[in-house]
Amino acid sequence: MQTFTMVLEEIWTSLFMWFFYALIPCLLTDEVTILPAPQNLSVLSTNMKHLLMWSPVIVPGETVYYSVEYQGEYESLYASHIWIPSSWCSLTEGPECDVTDDITATVPYNLRVRATLGSQTSAWSILKHPFNRNSTILTPPGMEITKDGFHLVIELEDLGPQFEFLVAYWRREPGAEEHVKMVRSGGIPVHLETMEPGAAYCVKAQTFVKAIGRYSTFSQTECVEVQGEAIPLVLALFAFVGFMLILVVVPLFIWKMGRLLQYSCCPVVVLPDTLKITNSPQKLISCRREEVDACATAVVSPEELLRAWIS
Amino acid sequence: MKLPCVSLGLLGTILMLCSVDNHGLRRCLISTDMHHIEESFQEIKRAIQAKDTFPNVTILSTLETLQIIKPLDVCCVTKNLLAFYVDRVFKDHQEPNPKILRKISSIANSFLYMQKTLRQCQEQRQCHCRQEATNVTRVIHDNYDQLEVRSAAVKSLGELDIFLAWIAKNHEVTSSA
Repeated sequence: MQTFTMVLEEIWTSLFMWFFYALIPCLLTDEVTILPAPQNLSVLSTNMKHLLMWSPVIVPGETVYYSVEYQGEYESLYASHIWIPSSWCSLTEGPECDVTDDITATVPYNLRVRATLGSQTSAWSILKHPFNRNSTILTPPGMEITKDGFHLVIELEDLGPQFEFLVAYWRREPGAEEHVKMVRSGGIPVHLETMEPGAAYCVKAQTFVKAIGRYSTFSQTECVEVQGEAIPLVLALFAFVGFMLILVVVPLFIWKMGRLLQYSCCPVVVLPDTLKITNSPQKLISCRREEVDACATAVVSPEELLRAWIS
Repeated sequence: MKLPCVSLGLLGTILMLCSVDNHGLRRCLISTDMHHIEESFQEIKRAIQAKDTFPNVTILSTLETLQIIKPLDVCCVTKNLLAFYVDRVFKDHQEPNPKILRKISSIANSFLYMQKTLRQCQEQRQCHCRQEATNVTRVIHDNYDQLEVRSAAVKSLGELDIFLAWIAKNHEVTSSA
């Protein structure tokens, strides 16, 4: 009888244990953790644009959504239970999130992501090392150098309000002084220098982010040259004076030549005054060859004169 | 006759060194993006100040009415007031609205950065707390303690523009915009 009871007890215990072990997986399984948490969280930050990225959670035939939350150093020190939903990524599709508008101070930020599918949500996956925006990669700025007549003009890439630019420019000749100009924002043409003709000028630029106190490396140097004038200024002055002279001399010459031609081709015959016969009596000088005495002067009329000629 | 000249010379040198030292300290926060902090506050100012239940009382009055903070005391007062906000005000305020919480978080974290910058600056130069500076901050703490914690926190948050303007003026921080 005792043996039978013992066997029954054993069977009952085994059954109970078997049932319990069978139930364990069901008890432990929580709907919340069916969905795997996103892995491989990382932040790619370039020119103060911060992108949180992770490996996507693949569920065949389904679209998984993601939620991102952040916590600044203040929260992690004074209120560690507070996580703030990201401005743009509450239920986002892509396995990345632009957290630029969330990371607004130069302190370490904790970031976490979880996946959502219907009513299922995964566990939070936290970024391994807190992200500080002072680790952003700063690239040299794009710049466009133009010549506006003799003016050296630069237009820099617009990188947003947090960026200022340091522009260095110099005349390409030995011993030339390097000038530096601070440009507050990109996207607008800025006048650097009025260039001298025939000289070459070189420019390079770098960015400065005040919020993190860092500079980028300098961009590639770009040089421009201004064509020299064909005739130097002095020669131009001479040319002007010569031109004015020509304007005066040539007409005079032409006029003179005209007069000469007139004289040579069609001269105007004019009787000298002494041979002119007028109606008024004239004094005539009549001379006799024989007489050495002073010639007598006689007043003759024109008729008498004619008779004298005929005889 | 030589003694007065020598002592005057010494006094002049000391004064010059003090002013140089203070000028350096005043420029400690020069790299802070004050414009962003001011902007964040402007967006929530009306909502915060609307929650203020004691409009006739001020906590930061000593900054506004007494423009008494001498250059020598600027470093100490800045340090103390940043600690006041970070250690007391932000902690005591529980913000349910996520949009406002986001802006308060931005300001709080920026203040944390300013504290670090100020500390680095102090390592190179002295930041003594004279009696006057200590008195000013004690008055502010006393004003805060006289009110119920949540009201005091809301009121102090609402007076952030006074503190920000004071920092900008005393630390020669120019807005980047």
